Amino acid sequence: MAEPAAWKTLDANEAVASVAYRLSEVIAIYPITPASAMGEHADAWSADGKPNLWGDVPDVTEMQSEGGAVGAVHGALMTGALTTTFTASQGLLLMLPDLFKIAGELTPFCLHVAARALATHALSIFGDHSDVMAARATGMAMLCSGSVQEAQDLAAIAHATTLTARLPFLHFFDGFRTSHEVAKVAPLADDTLRALIDPAAIAAHRARALDPDRPVIRGTAQNPDVFFQSREAGEPFYAALPGALDGTMARFAELTGRRYRLFDYVGHPEAERVIVIMGSGGECVHEAVEHLVARGEKVGVVKVRLFRPLSVAHLLAALPATATSVAVLDRTKEPGASGDPLLQEITTALVDAVGSGARATLPRLIGGRFGLASKEFTPAMVLAVFAELAAAQPRRRFTLGINDDVSHSSLPYDRALDLEPDDVTRALFYGLGADGTVSANKATIKIIGEETSRFAQGYFEYDSRKSGSTTISHLRFGPRPIRSSYLVRRAQFVAIHDPEALERRDVLGAAMPGATVLLNTAVAPERVWDGLPRDVQARLIEQRCRLFVIDGNGVATRAGLGGRINTVMQVCFFKLADVMPMEAALASVRRSLEQTYGRRGPEVVKRNLAALDAALAELHEVEVPATVTATRVKLPTVPVSAPALVQRVTRLLLEGRGDELPVSAFPPDGTWPTGTSKYEKRAIARSIPIWQPDLCIQCNFCVMICPHAAIQAKVFAPEALAGAPEGFRAEPVSFERGMNHLRYAVQVAPEDCTGCGLCVEVCPAKDRLKPQRKALVDEPLAPHRARERDAFAFFEQIPSAPLDGLKLDKRSAVLRPPLFEFSGACAGCGETPYVRLLTQLFGDHLVIANATGCSSIYGGNLPTTPYTTDVHGRGPAWANSLFEDNAEFGLGMRLGIDARAAQAKALLAAVAGRLPPALVDALGVPGDGEAWYAAQRQRVAALIAHLADDASPEARALVAVAPALVPRSVWIVGGDGWAYDIGYGGLDHVLASHRKVNVLVLDTEVYSNTGGQASKATPLGAAAKFATAGKASRKKDLGLLAMSYGHVYVASIALQSKSAQTVDVLLEAERHPGPSLVIAHSPCIAHGYDLVKSPTQQKRAVDSGMWPLYRYDPARVARGEAPLVLDSGAPKLDVAAYMQHEARFRMVELRSPERYAELLDLARAGVRQRHAFYDQLSRIHLPAEEKTHG
Amino acid sequence: MADLTTSWLGLELSSPFVVSASPLTRDPAAIATAVEAGAGAVVMYSLFEEQLLHEQLAAHRFLDARLDADAEARSFLPDVDVFSLDATPYVQQLERLRAKVDVPIVASLNGTTPGGWTSYARKLEAAGASALELNLYEVATSPLESGATVEDRQLAVVAAVVAEVDIPVTVKLSPFYASVPAFVRRLEHAGARGVTVFNRFYQPDVDLEHLDVDRRLVASTPAELPLRLHALAVLAPTSTISLGCTGGVHTGLDAAKAILCGAHVVAVASALLMHGPRHVGVLKDELAAWLVSKGYRSSAEARAVMDLRSAPDPHAWERLNYARMLDGWRDRPIG
Repeated sequence: MAEPAAWKTLDANEAVASVAYRLSEVIAIYPITPASAMGEHADAWSADGKPNLWGDVPDVTEMQSEGGAVGAVHGALMTGALTTTFTASQGLLLMLPDLFKIAGELTPFCLHVAARALATHALSIFGDHSDVMAARATGMAMLCSGSVQEAQDLAAIAHATTLTARLPFLHFFDGFRTSHEVAKVAPLADDTLRALIDPAAIAAHRARALDPDRPVIRGTAQNPDVFFQSREAGEPFYAALPGALDGTMARFAELTGRRYRLFDYVGHPEAERVIVIMGSGGECVHEAVEHLVARGEKVGVVKVRLFRPLSVAHLLAALPATATSVAVLDRTKEPGASGDPLLQEITTALVDAVGSGARATLPRLIGGRFGLASKEFTPAMVLAVFAELAAAQPRRRFTLGINDDVSHSSLPYDRALDLEPDDVTRALFYGLGADGTVSANKATIKIIGEETSRFAQGYFEYDSRKSGSTTISHLRFGPRPIRSSYLVRRAQFVAIHDPEALERRDVLGAAMPGATVLLNTAVAPERVWDGLPRDVQARLIEQRCRLFVIDGNGVATRAGLGGRINTVMQVCFFKLADVMPMEAALASVRRSLEQTYGRRGPEVVKRNLAALDAALAELHEVEVPATVTATRVKLPTVPVSAPALVQRVTRLLLEGRGDELPVSAFPPDGTWPTGTSKYEKRAIARSIPIWQPDLCIQCNFCVMICPHAAIQAKVFAPEALAGAPEGFRAEPVSFERGMNHLRYAVQVAPEDCTGCGLCVEVCPAKDRLKPQRKALVDEPLAPHRARERDAFAFFEQIPSAPLDGLKLDKRSAVLRPPLFEFSGACAGCGETPYVRLLTQLFGDHLVIANATGCSSIYGGNLPTTPYTTDVHGRGPAWANSLFEDNAEFGLGMRLGIDARAAQAKALLAAVAGRLPPALVDALGVPGDGEAWYAAQRQRVAALIAHLADDASPEARALVAVAPALVPRSVWIVGGDGWAYDIGYGGLDHVLASHRKVNVLVLDTEVYSNTGGQASKATPLGAAAKFATAGKASRKKDLGLLAMSYGHVYVASIALQSKSAQTVDVLLEAERHPGPSLVIAHSPCIAHGYDLVKSPTQQKRAVDSGMWPLYRYDPARVARGEAPLVLDSGAPKLDVAAYMQHEARFRMVELRSPERYAELLDLARAGVRQRHAFYDQLSRIHLPAEEKTHG
Repeated sequence: MADLTTSWLGLELSSPFVVSASPLTRDPAAIATAVEAGAGAVVMYSLFEEQLLHEQLAAHRFLDARLDADAEARSFLPDVDVFSLDATPYVQQLERLRAKVDVPIVASLNGTTPGGWTSYARKLEAAGASALELNLYEVATSPLESGATVEDRQLAVVAAVVAEVDIPVTVKLSPFYASVPAFVRRLEHAGARGVTVFNRFYQPDVDLEHLDVDRRLVASTPAELPLRLHALAVLAPTSTISLGCTGGVHTGLDAAKAILCGAHVVAVASALLMHGPRHVGVLKDELAAWLVSKGYRSSAEARAVMDLRSAPDPHAWERLNYARMLDGWRDRPIG
């Protein structure tokens, strides 16, 4: 590689976005993992006024879906604009129709895809080629990059070639592995790009633009007489593309010294065994091939860059004529195909080549599948493939990297094999999501990559938890470019930033002999050794590790940084890892801190510098003795009482050993049991609420607001107290006079609590002599853990007293068992209390259609899931289809359930004569409420009992469908990104349908899951990604749009501040005979304030009129009342008093006070107008419909 | 019309009315209106070092702690340099005000750390502040620190800032000193060019319903003026530096009282918040009319004629109010 003027360390998303941005005029975007960052970079650059290559600032527009983005792209292209977009996975699928059009119209365009798995039996955000392979029929040229450097370079080559060759490019690279890998890259200067782009081709593109000065018509409809021929008319462009691309690649080489080819070959010039592969896996094969060739083996690898149009000539030029056996590896699965797509292409090409005489012999071709959803692909697997190629009868098809004990497809490989040379420093870091470990490691890579001659690579694993999540950083530093596109398997340096990781997983498994281990612990150095579990001690001794400790949290806290240990640990790494001279490293870290935190202010820099200075003094080596002294072993990951599946499967997932599970361990259709989150005792709270029964007024506010169902209340018979553990407390019921004989208890689940503090915050009961003491007191977890754990276990098994006599309201609703518990949502999440409440109100007959987003991740992301069952084994049945189709998905559930109920009713009518008339009549009478459901279930049981001996077909059929006589409550749940944007068309249609579905919109006013991009629910004045300067348009009034139908029950709620109205609304929505739409204000970390203040802040939202509370009930019209009830009254707080407490508004003000003032005035006007409008709606009387729909 | 010009901190002002630190000074258009209506200078809202530190650390906590913590989200808010924290927004606002009006703009500073006071003072001077007001706002809560220690610390701050900047420095005081005149004398020695009496302390109330502290801020009332008048009257004869009155001036007649007691300037905030920035004109007219009605040619002429030295009954400023009132009651003929 030619030495560039300056190296940069960045990930492929940033590298590619930088090229695409500089070469575009119009960019239409929509967020999707793992491609979101490309759009975010483009948006941020545009907001900062960064020009493209021609001095213009590209127009970056966020659309409502990928379908919308590509539609806008198509239009921009039609008018001659240089246009780009970024996507992945389902987003790419939504673009397909336009891509066919864009390609069919021979339009220069470059689409960059961070390739990701498609949702099939399950969703996965991780990387493989199933999305891009689903686009291979579109006619797009498909170009693949295998590393960060390549992704940047091929992005430029694609942009240049599409202009001259007129075929649009789909440029892709592996999601996460490449898109998120931070690597040392030779950047592309503007001049290089300028030299690469042909201005004449741009002029030609513009000359083809739609222009009324020289009008043409495009997108005609054609009949059978001409369509076929005109479709073939574009063929010469496909024939010419490979040559054109190779030409650009050659020119690129002249400019940069980096020569790419359509197929790059690496290996022995007379190789006999060759692997053909695309993407980052090619780098791993490259590494293994170099290892084998050095040992004299005749092997090689063909890295496919241009997949479509596939050029046989170029393939033949790359593939040695000596190759006798070829393995084609696909990173996708096409079930039922004779071979996966790359194998099919290569096979066809070689068969053709032999047929045409271009190649003498057809090598033996076998096909393997690897790396689905970022499954590891290592040199050991490559060696297994080469071994297979050498076999007399190799498997024709195989899988790599898994243990397929069902179809027996997998190739065995040597799991212990490690080819990495010793001069590459490898380091592993186990951190917590919020402790700054990953950010610090990125800074470290930047320092080493940009300030020394060493090459650097960083890859980061995150779990799917949004609170207390674990991160694992994999860092490599070496003298050569790093091709290791797989996790660090053996490390010279292991840092345990999160000491809990020692207890949960085998963090030292990767420690090499003599490895340096750095442990962050509050335990004094002289006591550390004795406190380690037995297996950790044994491993340290066995590997002759050197153990260093530091109280990172202590140092950080003393420096005034709270739990941010990143700076402390970063300095320790430089001290111990010996990757650069310490003095230079310290100077670099200081510079980096000043750069990174300078924009937050000097105090932040000062405190980090203080932490840096303090860190080294507190770093201690702990002598590793010769023998194991500990008797303590790690606690079991899941309780021994957990069900077999949890023991067999979930436990391994929790221990980070999911890769070890064979195919047979899994349900083939993606169906999993619910109720597994309770087996994962994460104990992530630093402090937990401790109940003070003497003060408690039994209001249940704490239970209502808890995002994790980690504090619960129950009413029960005093006899149940028998055998209570010492720590369990209960009081006589005081909130209901008729229930004084019963007992009441509030109990925390100490190991499930996240320590968000909301329960303590909302607790209204104070000690009148010591008002600091409330009925819930925040106490450190450790001293209370065991006692409260036993108390919670006891609490869980106490049977609840019957609650039939209590009116269902905000107090009594949450006395019911939550059937949504201990999710992985953020501490303080504003969405989950609604979901939990839904399960408390309707849980035993609840069916949920859940849009993709935060709620589907904390609701359904393995390893454990929070939906659970009641004592009868009933509970919410939950499914996620997609992001865009959730309303339709839920409606379909309704249709299916109704069909089954209609069937049951028809069969009941058919056999009615053989049944007691009273039973038949009662079964047909609709009802609601807990008591009615219980009675109806008894009636169904009686029906089944009556039919037990009836062998008639209709009786047998009725027995099978009889449970459908118990109505199901269908709730369609999702976030604002779904409801306001991508799913709005479907939502609108479903609401128009008159069918009985309930829609719950968890409105965080931003795309939360993908990282805070603006949606149409984002309020005016708020900064969000893609609205960096502050959103200038009003929040869409989704409720008003739904009200326009007249038959939809519509409500706006805010549980954290007005839970009584929330409970009423959910009950009314469920009772409403038609569709309902409930829009729920959901505080979110993306709002930028301490969520413990969310009840107060939400009240400000309501009081300022930014979030009015209302109910629109069609039934009121029928009763002659005004349809709308305003539950929050006239705004009584200035909008500014609401906005100033959230960073999303504050950052607009700090960036530009003038713009903020302008937006604030607009927001105030919006509030006034909306209130005036609603106020009138709440006072008008509409004529009732003569005939109502049901 | 009476001449209302005044000299304050060595600055020549067209009127003694100063727009005081308040939300109004965040709005350049409102300030322009106030100046047009006759305000002689503007004192900006205080730059609270503590608040800046708090905000920086909050940004660190809410933005940086959310970075790189999630596979799907690199961050949760736009990751661009929009958090121009520290003194930048204040400095920008100062510059905006300077560009908008041509009367002196006085920056106000409340520091927390010794380095903070001086470094921010330098920044505010560099940004073009005509003078600097040090807001010595401090809530004494420790029984271990004497009033003398507090005063010494404050004087050290004033001396350090004075040594650091070339623009005049004035000090905004609280009423809680055992001897305000003695402290002001020490401030003079430390280099202060003026004092303003008094800081309107944050006055928390008790929320009886929720057993909590109620921290609402309320606007000043004319009832607060007498405390200031008294201090001015006491300070005027002995101090050689500029005197400002802040708190309780709601009318031109209130201003007249302050000037009579020795104020060079009167700061107004609550009255303008209630009646709008144009209200300065009303105050000015009322003051001028009163001066004319009493035969004063200028406000300077009226200044300090009611101070401790010049008042018809100087003892009236020295006696405790209740003694005086009781006397009056006793002397009053019954019937």
